[in-house]
Amino acid sequence: MSDNQDFSVVGKSLPRSDARIKAVGAAQYADDIFLPGMLYGKLLRSPVAHARIKSIDTSAAEALPGVKCVITGADIPKIKYGNWRLVPESQDEYALAIDKVRFIGDEVAAVAALDKDTAEEAVRLIKVEYEELPGAFSVDEALAENAPVIHDEYQQQTPNISLDRKISYGDLDRAFAEADLILDDVFTVHATSHAYMEPCSCVAEYDHDGRLTIWTSTQAPYFVQCLLALTLEMRENDIRVIKPYVGGGFGGKMEMRPWEFCAAFIARKLGRPVKFTLTREEELATGRRRHPMKIHSKVAFRKDGMILGKEFIVHLDGGAYNSMGPTACFLCGNFGAMLYNYPNYRYYGAHVYTNKPPAGAMRGFGAPQALFVAETQMNMAAEKLGLDPIDIRLMNAMETGDEIPGVATISSCGFKESLLKVAEMTDWRERRKNLKPGQGIGIGCYSFISGGVFNWFNTRYNFTRAEVRAFDDGTVHLMTMASDIGQGCDTVLRQILAEELGLKISDIRLTAADTAVTPQADLGTWGSRVTLMAGNAVRKAAQEIKEQLYKMVSLKFDLNVIHDMRCKDGKIFPANRPDRNISFGEAVRMAQRANRGEPIIGYGSYTPRNKGLVTPAFSFGAQVAECEVDRETGAIEVKYMTTAHDCGTPINPMAVEGQLEGSVHMGLGYALCEQFIMKEGKTLNTTFLDYKLACAEDMPPGVSVHIDTYEPDGPFGAKEAGEGLVSPTAPAIADAVYHATGYRCMDLPITPLKLLKGMKKI
Amino acid sequence: MTLPQFKFLAPTNLDEACALLKKHQGKIKVKAGGTDMIVRLSHRAVKPDYLMTLKKIPGLNEISWDDQGGLVIGALALLREVEVSPIILEHAPMLARAAHATATVQIRNMGTVMGNICNASPSADNIPTLVAMEASIVAFSERGQREISLDDFFLGPGRTALAADELAIAIKVPAPAPKTGVSYQKVSQRSKVDIAAVNIGALVTLDGAGNCARVRISMGAVGPTPLRARQAEEFLAGKPASAANLAEAGRLAAADASPISDVRASKEYRKLMVEVLSQRALAEASGFAAGN
Ligand SMILES: Cc1cc2nc3c(=O)[nH]c(=O)nc-3n(C[C@H](O)[C@H](O)[C@H](O)COP(=O)(O)OP(=O)(O)OC[C@H]3O[C@@H](n4cnc5c(N)ncnc54)[C@H](O)[C@@H]3O)c2cc1C
Repeated sequence: MSDNQDFSVVGKSLPRSDARIKAVGAAQYADDIFLPGMLYGKLLRSPVAHARIKSIDTSAAEALPGVKCVITGADIPKIKYGNWRLVPESQDEYALAIDKVRFIGDEVAAVAALDKDTAEEAVRLIKVEYEELPGAFSVDEALAENAPVIHDEYQQQTPNISLDRKISYGDLDRAFAEADLILDDVFTVHATSHAYMEPCSCVAEYDHDGRLTIWTSTQAPYFVQCLLALTLEMRENDIRVIKPYVGGGFGGKMEMRPWEFCAAFIARKLGRPVKFTLTREEELATGRRRHPMKIHSKVAFRKDGMILGKEFIVHLDGGAYNSMGPTACFLCGNFGAMLYNYPNYRYYGAHVYTNKPPAGAMRGFGAPQALFVAETQMNMAAEKLGLDPIDIRLMNAMETGDEIPGVATISSCGFKESLLKVAEMTDWRERRKNLKPGQGIGIGCYSFISGGVFNWFNTRYNFTRAEVRAFDDGTVHLMTMASDIGQGCDTVLRQILAEELGLKISDIRLTAADTAVTPQADLGTWGSRVTLMAGNAVRKAAQEIKEQLYKMVSLKFDLNVIHDMRCKDGKIFPANRPDRNISFGEAVRMAQRANRGEPIIGYGSYTPRNKGLVTPAFSFGAQVAECEVDRETGAIEVKYMTTAHDCGTPINPMAVEGQLEGSVHMGLGYALCEQFIMKEGKTLNTTFLDYKLACAEDMPPGVSVHIDTYEPDGPFGAKEAGEGLVSPTAPAIADAVYHATGYRCMDLPITPLKLLKGMKKI
Repeated sequence: MTLPQFKFLAPTNLDEACALLKKHQGKIKVKAGGTDMIVRLSHRAVKPDYLMTLKKIPGLNEISWDDQGGLVIGALALLREVEVSPIILEHAPMLARAAHATATVQIRNMGTVMGNICNASPSADNIPTLVAMEASIVAFSERGQREISLDDFFLGPGRTALAADELAIAIKVPAPAPKTGVSYQKVSQRSKVDIAAVNIGALVTLDGAGNCARVRISMGAVGPTPLRARQAEEFLAGKPASAANLAEAGRLAAADASPISDVRASKEYRKLMVEVLSQRALAEASGFAAGN
């Protein structure tokens, strides 16, 4: 189904509005900002995984010429922060360590100096005396008896479990009793890096009027504003957060971070601007990452392939702090029961502290892990029951109108169509019969959210808001706090607005992501929320403008009250009498005159209502991977990827395609080559030499098809695109590798060594 | 990251360059393409007072061949030039394959084969083939010129037999005997563009009866310096390059390798890869030899 009107701007592959400035290298990122008198900051990080701080001596650092400021935990307000404001005890971080350090890289002190080299030298001169404590470096170690307690300052029911979640519906015991096949497996999945191109960076300035301004590489300016206010003991309105161009985030930049705090704190203290920019080594050694998990999954099937129920027990290896772990813990439980109808389901998820760099939000937010397991087990079940993996999926697949008990209703779903499409495109059934030794073909599927409903940040505002100002020269100005971090929402929101108002994209000016001027508030770019949520707000704001302008057309042509109105091609007219039109600019001029000069402004907000606790809309899709394995070296080459996906209306198909290619890249790295090599909490591969991102040459060719659906809750029928698609790639590749070698991966990533061991070659 | 402070020297002839090397001994570093050196400088792994580029010295990038003397590759010949040089493709195509296997085209347009050798990384892509082909390095200093066999050139990771006042000016590769074939094989964690987890260069010369007359196998990334697989070489001498013999040679090569486990690969994986890759290299090299 598609919208009954034919679109002029939406659905077109228009070039991104930031394409030119980025192509010519003129886009300013935070690190490109230089203010007069600016100092350079550097953080001292803990070299030990778990210790009490006995003393810190900063005198030598302070004495170094060029050093202007050294701060430690003793200098800052003793206030813990975290994104989960709804659960205050989950806020477990100090900007600088106060009593203890809990991972290698924990921020201990900060220096600001005249230049970078001096700041680095000063950091080396700070002497910290640690009393080392035993560490816990895995879920099993952290939950063992007598495990060191990582956050001992508050009582936890089970030491080192910061938070857990249970979901239960149906009669699972009966499902297992009646099952013909029970799969009962333990999987482990690993941590990977966001590897955004732009390392974190910020510049803070404190002016003579007592206002703090910070330009920071963030996905969520509003979070940074609120949490800086909390930790600096300032009023939110005295803090202005501006998002410059941002070079990617993938979930890694959606919290207030210590360098933002330190830049702000020192800028306020000294009255001089301060910049902090992380190195790639800091990012890889200490940065947020995707949650490693241990997943115990038990699924009951009837012999015809029907799923009877599932028990899903997940332990998230959260690292030293909660970060966004609680969300991943919640969502894992939802993703464990997505895609197929699980009539009986039980979930237990626990977020476990370990002495490692904290895991946080990362593209997929629990879905890549949960779906790697779920999809692998679907493939295992198909084989055990003698069914085709696509048939068993079709039998259980969710469809439009299905309900997940107590969670959500699926209001649009192109899953079955996606399955049938990839089967057709790959000639699935024939290909599977004609594989040569070392060749494999496999499938993985996904579903994902279009933004979250659960208000863990406890915002006091609408989830997102837009303001549109219309001008009599036929242009409009869109103001939104929605944050383009490279995913393209500046373009997509313009397209939505242009479509709604019948204008061209070039008629739209945009000011975004500046907390002092764009409307309060927007929760940021994460969870694939922006297109649907900010898009809906933009549409509503546009509709307010249109109402004001329609009146002018009615007046001018003395129209009957029953006329439907349209905005198209820069004109406004009754739907059935396009000849009776006035131009958009003329209508604005008339409306403004009629209102004695009042400007024409429209506001729109969006907060999901009546959509359960998870999300307003789910995307779906299926992906087939074809691989070739060198069965002597274990080298895996992905030869081709075929994808069919349902993102509702693609507002900008070219942008969607970019997301798809990016997610194949990330999914392929997750499956095959990306991993942190850790020893006792220390990350050993801290450069891109040894942290193996797939290179351009490793990218397989592929094809993707949009399945046509229309999401009633999305702007022009749109929903999530590109985040969910990071999930199916690993299970699809793992399944292809299985068919090529007989090795079934239960422990990502699939390295040559594991593969050769699985094949009993080592 | 920013570079530390140093004085930049750009001599325009070899004598001047060697005089500077001697004068600033211990405080000077040499740069060709800089793809290793600049990274080391920005990581503060080296902190020289002087950085001397060789790029202003004319004539160092030549690639030449003569039937007696064999191949000469000048110190400034780029990886990319070696990869596409008609002379190399005709007379030593495996050197082009090894150059091609190094990094990406952007790096290959900056970096040199000599830099790859003098950097003396155990995993360097261009070393095993050159060792197998019995290449040597022409070293130049105020004291004169000498040739150092690659077999004796590597002392440890990042350490070579060059004296502090010596520059490497050329790579010499002898003209191969008739019925000789060469192969280069590599595995790495990521499928295409990556540092080798193990790499193997092999040379096989066959006698009139089709048996192996001479075999040289060089193994990279399985020891502090490139290692020769001497047991395998000796085993094959005088024997036909049959599948069974090559399999045995592979096992012997693995026995000669002394890899460590590190972030790039485990010891057990490297051992197995030496076995697999030397077998493949020997099979390919003897196949080429039979055809030559
Ligand atoms: C992104 C990236 C990817 C890479 N991938 C690979 C790869 O896949 N495989 C691989 O093997 N390498 C790789 N490298 C390493 C590097 O590119 C190669 O080793 C290259 O051949 C070095 O050549 P260069 O001219 O840049 O050397 P430089 O950096 O200029 O010099 C390297 C070393 O050799 C010394 N040196 C150079 N010339 C002379 C001379 N004439 N006399 C005496 N000493 C000399 C220098 O003092 C220095 O110690 C990579 C590097 C980068 C940055």
